[in-house]
Amino acid sequence: MLASYLPNSTSRNLTGIPNFRMASFGWKRKVGERVCKAAVQQFEAAAEKPEEDGVDEVDWLHAIKRRREVLLEDCAAKGNRLKEEGTVLAQEGRHWEAIKRWDEAIQLTPDNPLLYEMKSQVLTILQEVFPAVQAAEMAVKLRPLWWEGWQTLGRAQLSLGEVDLAVRSFQVAVHLCPSERPLWSEDLAWARRLQQQRRTAQDQTQREEEAQQDVLNPPELQQDYDFESDEVVVACAAVAERQRRYEELKRTVVVVDAEGNSREVPVEEEGSGDTPSSSQDQLVKARGL
Amino acid sequence: MTTQYSILFKQEHAHDDAIWTAAWGRSERDGLETIVTGSLDDMVKVWKWSDEKLELQWTLEGHQLGIVSVDVSPNGAIAASSSLDAHIRLWDLEFGKQIKSMDAGPVDAWTVAFSPDSKYIATGSHLGKVNIFGVESGKKEYSLDTRGKFILSIAYSPDGKYLASGAIDGIINIFDIATGKLLHTLEGHAMPIRSLTFSPDSQLLVTASDDGYIKIYDVQHAKLAGTLSGHASWVLNVAFSPDDTHFVSSSSDKSVKVWDASSRACVNTFFDHQDQVWSVKYNGTGSKIVSVGDDRAIHIYDCPM
Repeated sequence: MLASYLPNSTSRNLTGIPNFRMASFGWKRKVGERVCKAAVQQFEAAAEKPEEDGVDEVDWLHAIKRRREVLLEDCAAKGNRLKEEGTVLAQEGRHWEAIKRWDEAIQLTPDNPLLYEMKSQVLTILQEVFPAVQAAEMAVKLRPLWWEGWQTLGRAQLSLGEVDLAVRSFQVAVHLCPSERPLWSEDLAWARRLQQQRRTAQDQTQREEEAQQDVLNPPELQQDYDFESDEVVVACAAVAERQRRYEELKRTVVVVDAEGNSREVPVEEEGSGDTPSSSQDQLVKARGL
Repeated sequence: MTTQYSILFKQEHAHDDAIWTAAWGRSERDGLETIVTGSLDDMVKVWKWSDEKLELQWTLEGHQLGIVSVDVSPNGAIAASSSLDAHIRLWDLEFGKQIKSMDAGPVDAWTVAFSPDSKYIATGSHLGKVNIFGVESGKKEYSLDTRGKFILSIAYSPDGKYLASGAIDGIINIFDIATGKLLHTLEGHAMPIRSLTFSPDSQLLVTASDDGYIKIYDVQHAKLAGTLSGHASWVLNVAFSPDDTHFVSSSSDKSVKVWDASSRACVNTFFDHQDQVWSVKYNGTGSKIVSVGDDRAIHIYDCPM
């Protein structure tokens, strides 16, 4: 299937150049290596003849101009054809081939945001997350008022794990086209849920770290050095209390249920065997200080 | 008094992200002028305008997502903000405190507009209903049904008689507030209407659309009085000058244009923003214009009177 496209594209390229004087140029370059030298020389001689005949009548200025126009048109048309081919390939699940087509099209029409946006979608499917974000960023740069570009960018960012950036991109998309219901109910809502879950998890980690810090450097022992017996007792009680809290925190984990609600639950199994040893570790560390 | 249009003041980096909306208020109590801005960074900021410069007065936190629209009550005491988090919040401008938070329901808070008596707030919804909230009660009081599509823009006529709404499919509806009846339905534009505004005498309605045109309607006869072109991209916001002679428009082509209301010609174009200009407003007398945009800047312009 892939092979069938290539000859097609080369033949179109050749027929796409109508000026026969120029055609000899393209011909030599493309096929020169495969044809024996004698044939080439013969052909060149034949091709050059008419040019020599009409050399006075050629309006070089216009010939060059005309050729440029033809080339520009050709780029747009070919870029479009490659885009369509890529779309068909992507729909058939042949993602890498589609990307190859679109990359070729981008070479010809680098200002078409559609190409980058579609490429980003397929790259996200392929889990090429970073290039997907780059492609989508290019799409919204070229067409900043296009909500679908922002949606694709948000989805790519979400795959990359950049939840905050994704929430921002989805918001821009919603702001441009608020009547698009799935943007609210799926994209933005989902990204926000992930954002909240991550925050809950981060809070838990932070509390755990703070509690550990407190166990290692109990503020009660830092104040003064003339220990009196009742002060020591109070301090020890406080240290013990801290240790208990830290271990409690360690035994809870953030769990996200099917509805997407995150909550903290205690870890039940093997807690009884584990706790004394960890508490002993902490005591040893504290003494070591 | 100046004789020509000029940029007076720029506040760069006024927010941490794109600024989507701005309002200009004047306190009835002490005559102080305040500018309220809302941004994609979830913040509402209140700025004091005095001695020809802006001074940050309050940063109002509370919204969970970007601010879509802000408005200041005509008496200058309260600001309202609506956000993508579907909440409308009311803020006391004197103390910088939240007064109320109203859950409008998902996708049911877009442009907010105070009624001329400062007692109500109108906002559009996705089902084509205009919901009217009571400022005192903090609850939905009643709603006006356009039976249309998502309502992007809302405006009260200054005389308090009419309410106009602009929908995402380009349809304009004008309601009689006293009876709650739908007076006119105008097929204004083929594309979303991001903003509309009444003239101070409530005779004209000006609309701005993604099709790049500004249209002027005769409210009483529901007739199209003019179509203006000039912007190269979406027209995002329009505002009428309180002196009834000019109106101003902002666009995603990064420009702000001032138009003569009688000749309907563009009299000045400001090209000072680096990015899309989402909102533009006049002050209470029509001597100044404020504009905000994606470049996070607040600009104040001087207008000849």
